Parts: sequence; structure tokens; C-alpha cells
Amino acid sequence: MMYQWISGLVRHRFARLAGTALGVGLTVALLATLGFFLVGSSATMTARAVSGVPIDWQVEAVPGADPATVQDAITKAAAVAALDPVFFGKTDGFQASTGGTVQTTGPGKVIAFGPDYPGHFPKEVRLLSGKLDGALVAQQTAANLRVAPGDMVTINRLGLGPVQVSITGVVDLPDADSLFQAVGLPPQAAPQAPPDNVLILPLAEWHRIFDPQQTMRPDSTRQQFHVRLDHSSLAVQPGDAFTQVTRAARNLEARVAGQALVADNLGARLDAVRGDAIYASLLFLFLGLPGAALGAGLTVAVSASGADRRRAEQALLRIRGASSHRILLLSGAEAMTVGLVGCSIGLVGAAGFAAVALPLAGSIAQALLVALMAACAGLLLAAASVILPAWDALRARNVSSTRRTVGRATKPLWQRLWLDVVLLALAGLLFWQTASTGYQIVLAPEGVPATSTDTKAFLAPALFWIGATLFVIRIVSGLILANGSVLQLILRPLAHRLAPVIGASLSHQSRRIALGIVMTALAVAFGLSTALFNTTYKAQAQVDAQLTNGADVTAFGTATNPAGPWLAKLAALPKVAAAEPMIHRFAYVGADLQDIYGIDPARIGQVATLSDAFFPGGSAAEVLARLAATPDGVLVSEETVTDFQLAQGDMINLRLMDARDHQNHAIPFHFIGIAREFPTAPKDSFLVANSAYLARMTGNPVAEDILMRSAGEAALAADTVRKALATDPGVQVTDVGSVTHIIGSSLTAVNMTSLTRIELAFASVMAAASAGLMLALGFDDRKRGFAILAAIGAKPRQLGAFLWAEGTLVIMGGGIFGIALGSIIAWMMVKLLTGVFDPPPEGLAVPWIYVLTLLALVAGSTLGAVLTAGKKQREEAVSLMRDI
Amino acid sequence: MTDALVRVKSLSKQYMMPDGEIVPVLSDVTLFIEPGQHIVLIGPSGSGKSTLLHIMAGLVSPSKGSVDWPALGPSDGLMPTRLQVVFQMASLFPPLNVLENVALPMVLAGHQAQAEVRALAMLQRLGLVDLAPKLPEELSGGQAQRVAVARALAITPALILADEPTGQLDSTTAGAFLDEVIAVAGESDTALVIATHDATIAARMQTVWTVSRGNLQFQPEMMGGLT
Repeated sequence: MMYQWISGLVRHRFARLAGTALGVGLTVALLATLGFFLVGSSATMTARAVSGVPIDWQVEAVPGADPATVQDAITKAAAVAALDPVFFGKTDGFQASTGGTVQTTGPGKVIAFGPDYPGHFPKEVRLLSGKLDGALVAQQTAANLRVAPGDMVTINRLGLGPVQVSITGVVDLPDADSLFQAVGLPPQAAPQAPPDNVLILPLAEWHRIFDPQQTMRPDSTRQQFHVRLDHSSLAVQPGDAFTQVTRAARNLEARVAGQALVADNLGARLDAVRGDAIYASLLFLFLGLPGAALGAGLTVAVSASGADRRRAEQALLRIRGASSHRILLLSGAEAMTVGLVGCSIGLVGAAGFAAVALPLAGSIAQALLVALMAACAGLLLAAASVILPAWDALRARNVSSTRRTVGRATKPLWQRLWLDVVLLALAGLLFWQTASTGYQIVLAPEGVPATSTDTKAFLAPALFWIGATLFVIRIVSGLILANGSVLQLILRPLAHRLAPVIGASLSHQSRRIALGIVMTALAVAFGLSTALFNTTYKAQAQVDAQLTNGADVTAFGTATNPAGPWLAKLAALPKVAAAEPMIHRFAYVGADLQDIYGIDPARIGQVATLSDAFFPGGSAAEVLARLAATPDGVLVSEETVTDFQLAQGDMINLRLMDARDHQNHAIPFHFIGIAREFPTAPKDSFLVANSAYLARMTGNPVAEDILMRSAGEAALAADTVRKALATDPGVQVTDVGSVTHIIGSSLTAVNMTSLTRIELAFASVMAAASAGLMLALGFDDRKRGFAILAAIGAKPRQLGAFLWAEGTLVIMGGGIFGIALGSIIAWMMVKLLTGVFDPPPEGLAVPWIYVLTLLALVAGSTLGAVLTAGKKQREEAVSLMRDI
Repeated sequence: MTDALVRVKSLSKQYMMPDGEIVPVLSDVTLFIEPGQHIVLIGPSGSGKSTLLHIMAGLVSPSKGSVDWPALGPSDGLMPTRLQVVFQMASLFPPLNVLENVALPMVLAGHQAQAEVRALAMLQRLGLVDLAPKLPEELSGGQAQRVAVARALAITPALILADEPTGQLDSTTAGAFLDEVIAVAGESDTALVIATHDATIAARMQTVWTVSRGNLQFQPEMMGGLT
């Protein structure tokens, strides 16, 4: 009988079966795609994070420990890909005599490593000029001492006489924070600033110079082992990889207890990424789950559209002697058929999409687990859509209740309890709490930036989704039920004199109509919030990259090897739309050495994107105009304002090196504003001044960097710039695209393009289905009512007014409430993630084309439903009326 | 002689079944309906009464012969003002209450101003005023039929075609209700054609037509009138 029943349903109720199966399929597809994306993106995050850590472990031998024992313990604790000893020695300072003057620095450090080290840890040392084999000087120290390859530098040892070394190269130390970190500090300790003056020596030379000092002052030297672990053996998920690396580090700590301290940079980074991955999971689920819930709701609605017919079938079955148990079994078979077909469609679709558009990372087992979970959800949905209504019909229906299709509107419990308002208030409170605290990028003791997150923050939008949905139901059903002036205002242009009676007819069906409107509003809200969030996210990732890179393309030079002289040549390149020089030097604010940038405030906007969020005291345009109007003006960081208790207009003296005598001199500036961020500037402290004033006061007009806006693709422009600078390897060229990939540590580095595509496509289908399909099914359910209208004399135009009234309410209500809900959800999400964006976005970026397409789909599907119902009505009216 | 409300000439109707079989329902029917006439169409179930009513209402086209409405105008202008139909099955518009349903034909005809007053008056006249705020799904079958009749009467059409309007009422209630309907129809000179197989109803009407196996049998004076 089971087979006969199912085959009968397939033959005679194909539309109902297919509609429900497709709904299940769509829901399963979205869930599985989200799952595949999460697995893949987490693995990508791990890979990126791991590749971004310059030194996985820094193991520091305590004075007196046996280095060989420590080295042996390291190789036993973990699979090691590279292991190099690094020596650190303190000095009283450095001195150099060049150009007839003597330059002296404050205390510094001299480090030493073997010849393989730059190859093993390529992110630690970047050669700017000269060659690597010999004594190297850090670029800032080179600038302070005014030395170049070939010059001599004197090292003032502690307690011993000075020694001289010959410089062979000038280097940049991009990872100085981590390289010079204090190993073994407790996690809550403040990070140490790297030394201002650094010299790097070959191992033998370091030992020649510092072994005697070590004998006299053992505390003045230390030895570390820098370790790169074998990444191929790491787990793919950040959490698993974190556990694996941390356990190995603990194991090492136990092996070298009392002999060495371990800085687990990789573990700290993975810990942060682990948090990011959880955060990302929540975020993506948050963006996707409302869609899945909507898909489930729509499936139930499609299935419920045949409720009357189902009741009739059940009545027939009972008349023929089928027990309730047998009827439920038949419904179960139908649910299983629908569920299996839907799950198959959904999983095949999701797998196909994943193969084409998602990052292929993560394990097969995890992908299978995701597929299994999505399939289970699909089967549950099928059961809820088919078995529950059947059970409900069996349980409570009597003859008179089965005839009821309209029903008296009664206030459900949640409305009487004002649950919607309570949930909205709770959401508002939680949101205010979270948004007012925000998220801060913190510096881990190991010197690795990590994102601090609070998963509770997602409660606010979750409660808002539920509360707002219920609230919209309350408002919409209330407005329709009241059939007051608002509803009449909407209906009158369409229905003219029929408006009151159409209003009355809608009023008696307020629940049904409100459900259609709310489903449409939710679909629009889902599509809009996803689109708004994704566009803002993408735009902000771009701003983040632009901020780091400074502009589309940037040529970074140094004090000894500036990019400025190339300005005319670069500006003339066809792929460069605009080029602007920027001075980048260092200035002492008291004893604190800070980056200072010299710009032309009137022209910097031509090449760099300056957000209002950079400047807390006004808009970017206002602050730059203030700087342009104050030749000796300077913008300082918030930290400096606090540290030095500065007030606007204060005069501050900054010590800068003068090119004429190579000595630092105090130069007066006027503090005119605060800069939180600035293109290429570090995240902590920096200064921005007028380049003309800086050049005049330091006697050096040459700009170290050149910022460029590209004409077309930034990567192509960067290639032409690199070719133009091929003869000057000291100038480094980067483009915004390559920086986006390098940023890699935070959420904004996760490429959401593929997820966005599926979510937006799904939202479009859902919006069209919620509006058009729900409306069409509703019209079909009530075609007998429309036939009655025709039978008592309603003209086609008047029948059309009944159909258009509902259609208009769906478009208007769905559109207005959908846009409002979607915008608020997206705004909340962006606001909650403010700390992740750097800088925070000034507002939502609106994807107009998608929004208009979405609304057009809603309008189009509604139009289609109304026109089809009208046409069908005319064609079938006679036969329906004969059945009355 | 005044213009007939309905004029049917040599009308036949047959339906084609899904298996291709042709089923004749009415054959060679000719009739006139004059203003104010009260006619009962009597015959067993399946004799073709409902089909004849639907053809006279312009809802169904004849297979052969012709039907027109000399005193009422073209078929697309018959309803709601000139002709009303009371169907055998429940025919109230589900999302409107009883009062709104009774007023509906008048609203559709553009008489909004008096619609509710007249609808309420008709419900009162037929003893149905207590049902005014109820939804159709809250009514019994008999109540719904009576409301449908009230709806047809309220707009005072020239002709009402009613298919078993008292089929779900007991004979006492049906008789009393029909007496009132006939009285109301008489006041407005509305012609009534009622299809039924209930002999007690037939006894209350001026004219009795019998439908049997698709053939209509008339009283002698009617036949004479037709010739």
C-alpha cells in the first residue's frame, strides 16, 4: 500500500511533492554550502596564519644552561623544519664618524645569527642596500649614525673598550617586535618596544666581540634558538592546530625546565586565529542561518498550501477503514520520499557549488559530517512539513473545524505577553552594552596581534531577528485587522470604491496575509542584510588594505635610499593615474621615537583614501584643510595627546635629524589635531606634518615614499612601477591586492566572495518565492472564493482589485519592513564588528544594483502571481462556479 | 406582451466525459420567463435542472439553440443588478461576514451608500439579523443558504435563479422561509425560478415546470404562449 500511495501522490499530487522537495533541497543546499565554506575557510585561516608567523618558537637559554641540551630537547619535542641559534648582546651605544662629524646613539643591541638564518626566517631581515654577509645595520640606526655600506661603526661595549666593525649592508627588521620580545613574560605583561639601535654581526665576529663581555657581564648577553616547525604535520583546523602546537610547546617547556624559556609565537597566533575562526563561524552562520530558517518556513508553507486537500484525502482513507496509525505511516512515507529527494538535490547542488567556487581545504571527514548534518536537518524539515500537519489534522479536527479556512483573529500568547517588545528591548540593551565596549585589537605578549571577541555579542542580532519578526507580524496583522485609515490609504488608489469591502475581506484574513508579507519582508531583510554586510565588509577590507599599503601602489624607500627622486618617472607611467611623494622619517617626541610623515594636505587625497574615521576631531577634509592652513601644524596620535597632556594649539618641539649637520635638532610644531590612522602609518604612535615645512626645517626635501593611484588594476600598475624601478632594488613596491592577502590575520582577510554569491542567489530565490509563490498558493487555495465573487457579478476589473490589493500589500509591506529590518541587522553586524575593521567603516556600503534587483524580483514575482491568478480565474471561473 | 426576461429557443446541452463519451443533459428546450413570474423547476436529481439554471444565468453556453435576455440586456451585464443566482452549494464569500456578504452585490454594482442599510433590512426581514456579524464558516449549511437567498433579494434584481435554496432546511422552516422570499420578491416584482425536487415548495409557486431526462414539460397555457 505504501508504494501505491507514494506512486499515486507522484502521479496526482506532483506539484505539492515537488514544491516541498525543492524547499527541502534549497534549505539543505544552503546549510551544506555554509558548512563547506566554514570548514574550508577555517583551514585557509590556519594556513594563512601559520605562513604569517616569522618565528614559530623562540627558545631562550637561561645563563649557564647547556645550549646543546636545549637544542636536543627542541628537536625531540616537535617536528622541526629549521632551527638556528641567535645571540643578543647589549651595548652602551654606537658611534660613527662620517662627513667630518661624529654621530652617537643611545644604548642598543647587537645580534648575531648564522648564514642560513635569512633563508630559514625570511621575514626577519630585509636587505635594503649592500650585502648580507658581514656586519649589518638597521635602517633607523644607519640613519641616526649616517652610515652606509663600507663605513665603520664603533660598538661601545658594557664594561669593556669599544670595538669597530665595517658595515656591509643596511637592513630593515620588519618583525622587530617579535624578534626582540622578552621571552618568558607572563601573558598579561605589557609588550616591550624593540630597541632603537640595532647592529647584526656574523656569528664569529659577535663571539669575538661579546664573549669577553659575557664573561664580565653575563646578564648582558643571551642566546635564543629560533625554530620553524614542520607545518605539513599541522592539523587543518585552527583549534586542532593550536592544541597540537601548544602541547608540543608544553612538552618542550617540561624538557628544558630551568634551562630555557619558550615563546610560542605560533601557538599565540593560532590561539588568536582559533578565536577568529569561531567568530567567523558565528558570523557566517549568522548571515546564513536566517536564510535557512526562511527556507524551512517556506517549505512548510508550500506543504501547508495543500492542507484542505490533505484533510480530504485523510477523510477518504478513514472512511475506507485506515487507522490513524496507518495514516501517519503513509504521511511518514511521503515525508521520507520528499526528504530523500530534497536532501539529494540539496547535497548535490552544494557539493557542485563547493567544487566550483569554494576554497578546497579541510578534511573529507569534516565535509562528510557537514553533509550528514545538513541531510538530517533536511529530513527533519520534511517530517515537520508533512507529518505534523497530518498528525494535527488527525488529532483535533471535527467536521466544523475542518471547514474553517479563515478563522477569527485571536491574539496569540506571545502578543498578549508582549514578547516581541521584550525581545527587542533585550536586543537593544545587549547591543548597547556590546557596541559601547567594542572590540580592541590587543598585542599578545609574544608580539602577535590577536582579535579579542565576545560571542555573546551575537545574541543582540539574534534576539533582534526574532523580536523584529514578531513585531512586524504584530504591526502588519494589526494594521490589516483594523482595516483603518492606513490600510484604506493603500487600497483606495487600487480599489477605489471597493476599498472598504476589500479591506474588510483582508481584515478577516489578517493572519494569512500578514504571514505572506512577513515571509517576504524576512526574505528581503535576509538578502539585504547579507548584501549590505558583505559589501561593507568587502569595502572595508579594501580600505584596510589601502591603509596598510597607503595607496593602490606604493614605492617604499628609506632615508638612505629614498623613492622621491623617481617621482617624475613614476608619475609619467601610463598605468599610474596620480603619484604623490610622502616624507617618512623619525622624530623624537621627548624620549619616544615616532614615525613622522610629511604630506601635501591639498594633494594627498588624489592618491590615498582618507576616511573621516581617521580623524576624531572632524572630517578628513576639515582636518587636512586645517593642516594646510597651518604650515607648522602637526597631527599626533591619541596616545601621544594623552601621554603629553596636549591641547589643541600647543606648541611642541620634535627632534629631527637635520640633513645639513646630521644632528638631531628641536623643531617647533603646533599641535592642530589627532590622527588615529594614516596611510602606511603604524597602529600606535605617529605624526603627520606638512612636507614643505618638514623639508625646509630638516634641509632635506627628498621624500622617502611615493604613493600612487593606479589607472585600472593596481597589480598591473605595480608591475609597471617595479619595472621602472628595476635598477633600484632598495625601493620596494607593493600594491593593495598583495597587501590584502598579507593582512591574513584578521577576519577581513577571509574571502567571502563565494559565500556571498550563494547567499545572495539564495536570498533572491527566497524573496521571489516568498512573495510570488506564497501569493500564488494563497490565490489557488482561495480560487473558490474568487469564483463566488464572479458568480454574484464581480467584473474582471473588480476581481483584479482583490488580487492586486494583496499583491500591493505584499510588495509594500515586504519591501518596507524588509528594507528596514535588513538595514538594521546589517548596521548591527557592522557596528558589532567595528573592532575587526581597521579603520571602522563610516557607514553601510549599499550594493544598489543587488538591492534594486532583489526588490524587482519581489515585485516581478508578485506581478506574475497576480496576473496568473487573474488569467486562471477568467479561464476557470465558469467550471468553478458550476461546482459552487 | 412585455419583453421576456429570459428567452430560450430549441436549446440542447451535452457534456463530453473524460473518456470521450457524450452525455446529453438537456434536449430541445424552449421557454420564456416573464417579469414577476414565480416558477418552480421540479425534477429528480440529475435531470438537468441545475444545468438549465446555469444556462439561463449565462454561466454556461448551450451546445445547440439559443438563450438571450430581451428585457435584461447582454449577458455580460446581467449580474449583479438584473439577475442573481443562488447556488446549491455554499456560495458565500468566506472572508466577509454575513452582513458584508449580503451587501456585496450592491457594492459591486456601485451602490455603496445604501448597501449596508439594505442588507441589514433584508436580513431583518428574513429573520437572519442575528447572523450579521458571523463569518460564513461559522454558519450551518441551512443558514448559509438562507443568507445566500437574502443576498440575491437585497439588490432587488429582475430575476433570481435559485438552485435548491432550501435543500438543507427542514420542511417547516423551508416553507416559512420560502413564503417570506416569495413575498419579498413579489413586492419588488422580481421573477423567481427555483429548482427543487421538494413537492411542498412546488405547491407554493405559480408555475410548475418539470424537467425529466433533459426534457422540459410545460403547463398548457405556457405552451400556448410559446407558439
